[in-house]
Amino acid sequence: MSGPDRIVIEGIGAVGGFGCGISVLSRALTEASSSPGTFDLSTGSGTVRIPAFLADVSRLGEFIPVRTLRRIDRFSRLALLGSHLALADAELPEAERSRLGIIIASGYGATGITYAFLKSFISDGDICASPTYFANSVHNSAAAHISIQLGATGPSLTVTHFHLSVPSALATARLWLAEGRVQRVLFGAVDELSELIGYVRFRMRHAPPDTPMTPLWTEMETSIPAEGAAFLLLARESAARGGYCTLEASTTGSMPNSGVPFPEAGLLVLGADGCPESGGRYAAAAQNVRVACYTPLYGSMPSGPAFDVAAGALILKGGRLFPSPGAAFRDFPATVPAGGDPVGTDRIACLTLAEDNAYGLTTLGKLPDTACVRAREGRTSS
Amino acid sequence: MSVEPIPITGMGCICAAGRNLSDSMRALLRGERHPAPPVRFASDHPIPHPVFEAVDFEEPPDFLRTSAFALHAAREAIADAGLDRESLGALRVGVCVGTTVGAVMSDETFCRGCLAGEVPDMAPIRRILRSNPADVIAREFGLSGPRQTVVTACSSGTDAVGIAGSWIRAGLCDAAIAGGADELGRITYIGFISLMITDDSPCKPFDRHRKGLNLGEGAAMVVLASERVLRRSGMRARSLVLGYGSAGDAYHLTAPRPDGAGLRSAISEALAASGVSPASVAFVNAHGTGTPDNDRVESRVLQDMLPGVPFLSTKGYTGHTLGAAGAIEAVFTAACLEMGKIPANAGFETPDPEIGITPVREVTMVEGTVALSESLAFGGNNSVVVLGKA
Repeated sequence: MSGPDRIVIEGIGAVGGFGCGISVLSRALTEASSSPGTFDLSTGSGTVRIPAFLADVSRLGEFIPVRTLRRIDRFSRLALLGSHLALADAELPEAERSRLGIIIASGYGATGITYAFLKSFISDGDICASPTYFANSVHNSAAAHISIQLGATGPSLTVTHFHLSVPSALATARLWLAEGRVQRVLFGAVDELSELIGYVRFRMRHAPPDTPMTPLWTEMETSIPAEGAAFLLLARESAARGGYCTLEASTTGSMPNSGVPFPEAGLLVLGADGCPESGGRYAAAAQNVRVACYTPLYGSMPSGPAFDVAAGALILKGGRLFPSPGAAFRDFPATVPAGGDPVGTDRIACLTLAEDNAYGLTTLGKLPDTACVRAREGRTSS
Repeated sequence: MSVEPIPITGMGCICAAGRNLSDSMRALLRGERHPAPPVRFASDHPIPHPVFEAVDFEEPPDFLRTSAFALHAAREAIADAGLDRESLGALRVGVCVGTTVGAVMSDETFCRGCLAGEVPDMAPIRRILRSNPADVIAREFGLSGPRQTVVTACSSGTDAVGIAGSWIRAGLCDAAIAGGADELGRITYIGFISLMITDDSPCKPFDRHRKGLNLGEGAAMVVLASERVLRRSGMRARSLVLGYGSAGDAYHLTAPRPDGAGLRSAISEALAASGVSPASVAFVNAHGTGTPDNDRVESRVLQDMLPGVPFLSTKGYTGHTLGAAGAIEAVFTAACLEMGKIPANAGFETPDPEIGITPVREVTMVEGTVALSESLAFGGNNSVVVLGKA
């Protein structure tokens, strides 16, 4: 897509283990530094403390009255915070919010409230099941809460496709904009580290304590579970009032024998997250390409690829590369540019690998020096 | 501005009405329905609520019943399109599937184990993780195109068909398998009863004495193909996806907006995309769950936007199959257009003065080449697909 039909990332909202807001994410990327906290799990053999990247949603009170949040669960709070941060970053006027399309991608959905719903009838019998918990456990509850809070009556979509959720949902966001269904899409990826997901991660992917996330190391598990929300306000360029970069393409599919069809990407951001099986596949896919990997800054979660897109957007806007965190490329033979280097390309691709040889690829482009860029630069970043 | 119609070259369905589309249509036209208390699971709820289970279907142990339904319907649709694994391999084929429970990390046995302080077997979780319905279909048939699992609650199936149509128009794939799938289990059953929107007798969509919905389960899939592939492959079009529209209520998590504004927008968008006028609509397959709120809102909108157009709900034969409903109802709609007749709205006996219009009460011949299938969903999603006779 070129010319007036280009899709622009107009605003970014991000909250995760690194902190809250695009400037905080930018700082974490620049410093290649973000430390996980801890998460206490009840297991059959007592309480276990595991490292985890947890998000703080307290800033949500800046956007929504606390009273309104009473019956809104953590998953939707993460989404609401991410969405408001993106809208604030883009400085989208209130009057334009009602016409937004909303697309949410989540690997697991609202697992905390779903578990709470199950507890309600497991503990006290079927007749005591909580209707409030059930209503909030529906996968599209976060999209619903956002649309209600914004009064947004455009189309709404929620995609839950584990690690392919983000590239798959972004593909639909592009289509909505290209078809002219809406002028803007508020796209968000969100996952919560609930008690249930924490336990599942502990049982299935238990990394040794104090091991830094080493995403491309194939000898052992190093993933650190995470939660967070990354939102992008997407607009047709003709409607955009500024932006970070263009969203050139997003696709999913089965990996061809010839490898991932990189679209002349000058830099490939790898979504590798410390799982040894996929680490090897990332390594194989990334031969002879300039690569970066930022997952050690926000951790391992299915919605991680949206943070990769946010990082790519910041690189294209700033013109300088962020360093990949120190442990990202242990023993990995690749061309890893240093932090601070000029980006040296107009195009960045973000790669996600999933089960069954499936992949997702999102490609970003440098925004030409058009009127909307000048408009953006004339405003103060939030 | 209208969009390019997308041919439907194959259809498949499994639900309480039948194990395939032709059996299901035969049951609908005979007026057969068999709601009964659940037999596949138990509940200590004091009042049994009838459901529509696909009782003669056993899923393999490898993956969720939802995905087994999806695969069953996909196999029928692919065979109906005259395709096989080899011919699919020569095309870039996408998969877009709507579901509600097919992507949920909740297994009651596992959660009970966690809560009891045990170390529960991880097998149920591993089964969930390899059961994403779109992945299961792509894996089974070796499909290389885009994949998406849509979870917009009860409009998921309609949305999946609409999105897959967009993929083909945009050239993202040559063909697509699209639809919806959902199984019925204790969690859903208990949850809907807790919301007090289920009927403890067979559901009665649009009836004055309606009390709520009955849950169901099943799947439906369509094979969509581009005109170019259609010409090259020798497939024939059974029906056409003429247009799709969707809009949000921005009102409530579980209740439809009383003025039906979201549904009105979705119908308007779908009709505009199709390039057809309300007067040319032969019939509407309504969402018609049998809940007081849904049927009130939906019938008001139909009365205003499509006055005099025959309408029905097929949920009296299938129950509310949630993420599968939009797809099941889309293939029923396409099959009815082929046959030129629609079944009676099962369960309807007494007109509701508050509604003011009545659904069809007997098998009715319909003229025309265009019909609508509507879905309203939790979260305020409203989705409409316009289908045309090939």
